[in-house]
Amino acid sequence: MKTEVRGNGGSISLQNPSLFNTPLDPITGALKGCLGSLDGACIEKLLLHCASALENNDVTLAQQVMWVLNNVASTVGDTNQRLTAWFLRALISRASRVCPTSMNFNGGSMFQRRLMTVTELVGYVDLIPWHRFGFCASNGAIFKAVEGYGKVHILDFSITHCMQWPTLIDALAKRPEGPPSLRITVPSCRPQVPPLLNVSKEEVGHRLANFAKFRDVPFEFHVKDDDPCLSNETFATQFESLLTQLTRSQLDLRYDEALVINCQNWLRYLSDETKGNTTTVRDAFLDVIKGLNPRIIVVVDEDCDLSASSLSSRITTCFNYLWIPFDALETFLPKDSRQRLEYESDIGHKIENIVGFEGFQRTERLESGVKLSQRMNDAGFVSLPFCEDTINEVKSLLDEHASGWGMKREEDMLVLTWKGHNSVFATAWTELED
Amino acid sequence: MFFDSALTVGSFSSRVMPVDLDNSSTASGEASVTSSGNQNPLPKSTAKKKRNLPGMPDPDAEVVALSPSTLLATNRFVCEICNKGFQRDQNLQLHRRGHNLPWKLKQKSSKEVKKRVYVCPEITCVHHHPSRALGDLTGIKKHFCRKHGEKKWKCDKCSKKYAVQSDWKAHSKICGTREYKCDCGTVFSRRDSFITHRAFCDVLAEERAKAQTQPQPQNQNQTATKESDPKPQTPDSSPPSAPTPVSVSAPESGKVPAPAPAVPQLTSVISSSALPIQSSELPENPSPIMEESLAPAPAAAPTGLNGSCSSSASLGSNGSSCSVFASLFASSTTSASLKPQHPPVFIDLFQSVGQPDCLTDLAPSPSIEPISLCLSTNHGSSIFGTAGQEHRQYAPPPQPAMSATALLQKAAQMGATATNASLLHGLGIASLSSSSAQQDNLQWGQRQVEPENTSVVAGLGPGLPRDGSSGLKELMMGTPVFGPKQATLDFLGLGMAAGGSPNGGLSALITSIGDELDVVAAATSFGGGDFTSKDIGRSS
Repeated sequence: MKTEVRGNGGSISLQNPSLFNTPLDPITGALKGCLGSLDGACIEKLLLHCASALENNDVTLAQQVMWVLNNVASTVGDTNQRLTAWFLRALISRASRVCPTSMNFNGGSMFQRRLMTVTELVGYVDLIPWHRFGFCASNGAIFKAVEGYGKVHILDFSITHCMQWPTLIDALAKRPEGPPSLRITVPSCRPQVPPLLNVSKEEVGHRLANFAKFRDVPFEFHVKDDDPCLSNETFATQFESLLTQLTRSQLDLRYDEALVINCQNWLRYLSDETKGNTTTVRDAFLDVIKGLNPRIIVVVDEDCDLSASSLSSRITTCFNYLWIPFDALETFLPKDSRQRLEYESDIGHKIENIVGFEGFQRTERLESGVKLSQRMNDAGFVSLPFCEDTINEVKSLLDEHASGWGMKREEDMLVLTWKGHNSVFATAWTELED
Repeated sequence: MFFDSALTVGSFSSRVMPVDLDNSSTASGEASVTSSGNQNPLPKSTAKKKRNLPGMPDPDAEVVALSPSTLLATNRFVCEICNKGFQRDQNLQLHRRGHNLPWKLKQKSSKEVKKRVYVCPEITCVHHHPSRALGDLTGIKKHFCRKHGEKKWKCDKCSKKYAVQSDWKAHSKICGTREYKCDCGTVFSRRDSFITHRAFCDVLAEERAKAQTQPQPQNQNQTATKESDPKPQTPDSSPPSAPTPVSVSAPESGKVPAPAPAVPQLTSVISSSALPIQSSELPENPSPIMEESLAPAPAAAPTGLNGSCSSSASLGSNGSSCSVFASLFASSTTSASLKPQHPPVFIDLFQSVGQPDCLTDLAPSPSIEPISLCLSTNHGSSIFGTAGQEHRQYAPPPQPAMSATALLQKAAQMGATATNASLLHGLGIASLSSSSAQQDNLQWGQRQVEPENTSVVAGLGPGLPRDGSSGLKELMMGTPVFGPKQATLDFLGLGMAAGGSPNGGLSALITSIGDELDVVAAATSFGGGDFTSKDIGRSS
């Protein structure tokens, strides 16, 4: 692509140009007076150089590039600076694993966990429509799918601690034929990723139950307990054990219930590595839930392929995707907003995992909506379109947020867009009838 | 190619953003996306194109950069015959018919079906680069106006200001029309956020807990509590009806019964939620831990920063690695002329970095300032002079003080010459004095702090021992990471052995970045050029 720029080209003034007394070689001479600030493309290139320097053990180059990046990075700067800050941190984290240091990283994340109260989490998920889009689309599809049923059972696999359900409970409460009785079951294991709560799942369920009662919806909440011996294991281990417990009897599925499976930002944490000839955990999970004969399965996740084995490809893709939430936050929150910083910090946690880790420690294995759809089709599911009511609801939701948020349909998939770029996808599925 | 007075060709729908599902998508449109029913006469391709990678617009698209005056102009649709300007394309087309053009000229030529994407002319803007281009003209106009333009439109009822009239209109329609109030006092303009908040409200939960006379399994007691009292003041609030049996039941039989544990949890939660949620509240006191190891840490650190330090310190159980760093920086803090609030935050970084195994503890306190060491909300962005930004009509946002070229050049010099380059403290570069003759003792000198600069760490003091092993180790120790524009790293023991000429790599880097920065030559080398077509919908 070729571009030309006209208008107020900014010329950057070097504060003390005389300092550069060294004779300029042709390259730097040509650059002088050119764009002064490192734009996104440059930063991305620098990140890639740093990563490849690390991979080639070129310590000097890595340090130099990190130094440059550090000059750009700022968690309170503009979006590029903020992104740079988190990427740089991830690269440092990676470097620390490559080179033994006197710092005791212990192979863990550089990040400290931040725990939120439930009320804070409510505000968090509504800061931008990133999560609410998925909630709204999924709840719409679920509502439609359970029409006519007197009992509904939701298996909720998500990382947002049931923030999705109050609006569904509210909608069910207003059903003309009266609300169904509702059961929600959540697994006790959860990937160790933000957003993190300072209360237990049981407490969350308790509040939800109180709300349901208030709205006169018969309600039950269950936490599907894991083997307590596994409580200190990784999520992957705990989940594999949980898989064995997802049976009709162990879940106490009832014959007259509409079973709903809700997967929100979840499938990406299930391993997609084949060990020998066995199915991957991700596909095994899909098989298991298919066997439960659900009425509907809703899958929502971020629309980006971040599971490549090549580090540079991940950096590029990640950088060119995560500018979206940063940009959205920049639109309406000031630079020093605490909420914004926290939200970005959580994204930084994700960046650190994607860029800084490999192997089983790299738990973020996001795949795009298109790939996910292919996977669902291969697993024997057929997609369900979202009805007009749901789409209108999503539209009015987006109307209430900053403009810049949009939505489009790609086949049966709904995609949230920011300034035209895909951010989150929502899909609904059911079993293929034989 | 660019336009002064742009004839919009193949314009996408000019309807108001954002929610237009039916908006004319792009040339790479999916088969199922309906063409907008508006004035767009373009034939839509029905072949399905490969989806783009996120953030990568259509490589075949023509990138157009309009000037600010074009973007701000209201009459951007100009008749090529008589130069009359119109605000909308429809009006222009209607007008053109009046010129009795031959049939051929009236039709839009197929050539002009080519997709266009628009970049922002503001160099420092994120949308300046083609990979962040916006898909339609309305979008880029609105973006430019909103972001870089003056906010001329002000809402009567609240204080919000808007640069784009349609935004202002849209806001005025809903401002104050709907309000949902939770009993805790929080007000919401959106029903879904209100409902979610109401379901989980800490305050209400607390009241419920207080209302319970004794700890009992919840499903026996709920009907007697005051739960039904707090009602949202919404138009459709349902009155509390006769109590219905609701239970928080235990998981599968044979497992630990939930109700009993729920109660103690409730009470413990209540007690913590009774704490103010704000960050000023510190947990039981970790500050002494820090102060011990940080002898020079001045007591007069601002609460905010202390808060963030304390939070990390409170999680720290691995004292030994802590103290390594503490002592490392203790010496430096005495030597440099630091602003009081910096060392704690820096220590905070390394404590958090150095003790990942402490992270598994549940902190008793509610969430606090994020670790992201960017401390000073006071000072953090002052380098960039954000203060005055919104008052300017069209002003580039603040930029880093040093240009890309200068930075790269500097980095190259550091690698090659081992001079003691002390770095710009934000606004200027101090002296380039040469320090030790030893090539591998590269050290940035004392950081002279300008008042508005918040640097996390300055150079580690000159006295630190040089370790002959991998320089990256020292990088880890020396990196302040996010001190704004301070870059006072002390790369100790920068081994030259690390592979060839230390400057070679960086020169190549400069060259390649130089290519990137060369705007006219453009982005063919960017990212390896592996674009796949992307469906850019309408943008703001």
